[in-house]
Amino acid sequence: MAESPRSEIMARLRAAAGASASATTPEQIARELAALGFASAAVLPAADTCIAFMANVLANKGSVELAADRAEAVRVVGRYLYNRFRTHKLVAGNDPRIAAMPWRDAGVLPRFGAAENGDGAALSYARLGVAETGAVVTWTGRANPGRNNLLPEDHLVLINREDVVATLEDAWLRIRQELPAGSWPRGINFIAGPSSTADVEAQLVMGAHGPRRWHVILVGATPAEALAEAKVLTAATGP
Amino acid sequence: MKITSDHFLEHADAALADPDKAQRRDLLGLFMPLARDAAAARYGDFEALRVHLKQVRRHTMEHLEHYLTRFEEEALRNGNQVHFAATPEQLNSTVLSICQDHGARRVAKGKSMVTEETALNDHLQQAGLDVIETDLGEYIIQQAGETPSHIVGPALHKSLAEIRQLFLDRHDLGERPLEQVADIVAEARGILREQFLQAEVGIIGANALVAENGSTMLVTNEGNGDLCANLPPVLIVCTTLERILPRVEDAMALQRLLVRSATGQPQTSYTSFYSGPQRDDDVDGPLETHIILLDNKRTDILASDYSEILDCIRCGACLNHCPIYVGVGGHAYGWVYPGPMGSVLTPLLTSLEQSNDLPNACTSCGRCAEICPANIPLPDLLRDLRQEESQRQLNSPRWRRGLRVHAWFLRHPALYQRLSGWLMPVLAWLGKRRGSLRTLPFAAGWTGTRDFPAPEGGTFMRQYRKRGKVRRRRG
Repeated sequence: MAESPRSEIMARLRAAAGASASATTPEQIARELAALGFASAAVLPAADTCIAFMANVLANKGSVELAADRAEAVRVVGRYLYNRFRTHKLVAGNDPRIAAMPWRDAGVLPRFGAAENGDGAALSYARLGVAETGAVVTWTGRANPGRNNLLPEDHLVLINREDVVATLEDAWLRIRQELPAGSWPRGINFIAGPSSTADVEAQLVMGAHGPRRWHVILVGATPAEALAEAKVLTAATGP
Repeated sequence: MKITSDHFLEHADAALADPDKAQRRDLLGLFMPLARDAAAARYGDFEALRVHLKQVRRHTMEHLEHYLTRFEEEALRNGNQVHFAATPEQLNSTVLSICQDHGARRVAKGKSMVTEETALNDHLQQAGLDVIETDLGEYIIQQAGETPSHIVGPALHKSLAEIRQLFLDRHDLGERPLEQVADIVAEARGILREQFLQAEVGIIGANALVAENGSTMLVTNEGNGDLCANLPPVLIVCTTLERILPRVEDAMALQRLLVRSATGQPQTSYTSFYSGPQRDDDVDGPLETHIILLDNKRTDILASDYSEILDCIRCGACLNHCPIYVGVGGHAYGWVYPGPMGSVLTPLLTSLEQSNDLPNACTSCGRCAEICPANIPLPDLLRDLRQEESQRQLNSPRWRRGLRVHAWFLRHPALYQRLSGWLMPVLAWLGKRRGSLRTLPFAAGWTGTRDFPAPEGGTFMRQYRKRGKVRRRRG
């Protein structure tokens, strides 16, 4: 019988590595790897993590609003929906944090579940924000089906101030803490901008396939001056 | 993809004769390096990041069997089916049989250079499947029946007017202006959205494979790969062995280098880690997922002196920085991978016989090595390929004769200096009036399209000696 591609490939790898590498034990390999450590992160545009996060979200062509608490977040979302779509329709995953918000106060009636083709706006409650790159992190599951990030015209994301971390390594540390080994979700998504393309004439256009707009709402006690400072920083450094 | 690299010189001539396309490439060669430099400067210690990833890569390559086995174990535990393919044909037939097992008719594809390498689309289409490329650039060239001219921006060689005409011809949507870039994007969005919703199989590539948890990292701005990975009931990831990295943090380090080098962004709109089929907690996502690991000569490259080319992360920066690539464009290279990385990879993945012009498509300026985020000594690898080419007598006999004469002179410095000391004043005198020479004996190829600047009259060695810096050697 002919050799399977797998055993053929493994045999070739063994031959390529030579005797010394194959004699190394997994423990030695792990020690070697640990000794390499992690990379150094990018310099943040501001010392304050939340300001740096907002500045990078803006640089990524997102928009940012502040909400002192969840009650205000509801009003912010309601206003956004009305201004953009003249409706209060919204789809959101079955996230207990979203379900517990006082939606009726702003007249918003969320549909809980997976987004469908034609939905105007979807709301996600991000697990994390990353200041280094201006990204929010979600993962797939009932609380945020994967398609909710992708199908709507506008993607609204709530993120708690205390969930904004400085670097991508910090983000993975938190993810490892929150998700016990062996129970990783189907997809972990770092989102850092609206769906965009520069494939025609190298001209940047939003809404290539997914959201045309990406709106991040930072929930918690953030002074308005912080957002103003982030805007200045983004204007100064450019995209 | 059918290789036509043996016609590099004719392709290059044709490309240079099209001023509109040449101007588009000049702009690319001007602006992409600026975007990359600005992003690297904003990062802080970009060099340290580059060195770090190189170390991790070398470690991973040294223990590739270990990490590949680990990745396979974890991917299986996540519920994936893992396939190995030694050859492009094996990858193509594996994909086709998965599609046929599900009675699939429609396949939505994310951008994947690996499947360009194996010519997967042709294989699936011959079997009667509808295969649609969903990356906008790939979609445009698929509609035009062309191949990618750039590994990151596959359709950047096409003008808005060309794409407009293409869409008017291909999409039966009646009268419409379609004059702005945004109109093109909107039209493609509408058509491709339907494809995502109807496809029975999604195919994507991977920017990295994470050994510790068996997940694959996908980096896009459009989100098309994510739609392929989330909507169709079956997902196939087509990738190659050398994409493996030990930890998620290593994949993130790669992503930092990749995105800044490719587009100058800090992170693309979507960076996703997919681990397998739907879980109990999921309400969407594929029901079945496959990962196909292709070798296609990578294990040979790993064992060769060219192993560092396996560190390539496909950012395209060496293309944007290469005077030859910017001059002649991606199509001249005649296969999947153009530019410096392509001139190394093409001979190794196909054969030096079919592509012996490519390692010569280099001015040894060294810009690619300077900016390569994976720290690959591209000019050195190209030089080694040229040497191999010469040893195996694949280049033209005239070149080899010329090189032999040149080498002989270089090994006889006294004679070389005497000859150049005599020749330079003659050339200086001949070109005195115009400051340049229109023709030169034995160099008609060079002077055919440009003038040769007249030498000043002296030589470096003569000046050097005059300033008393060289002491007489023995003999």
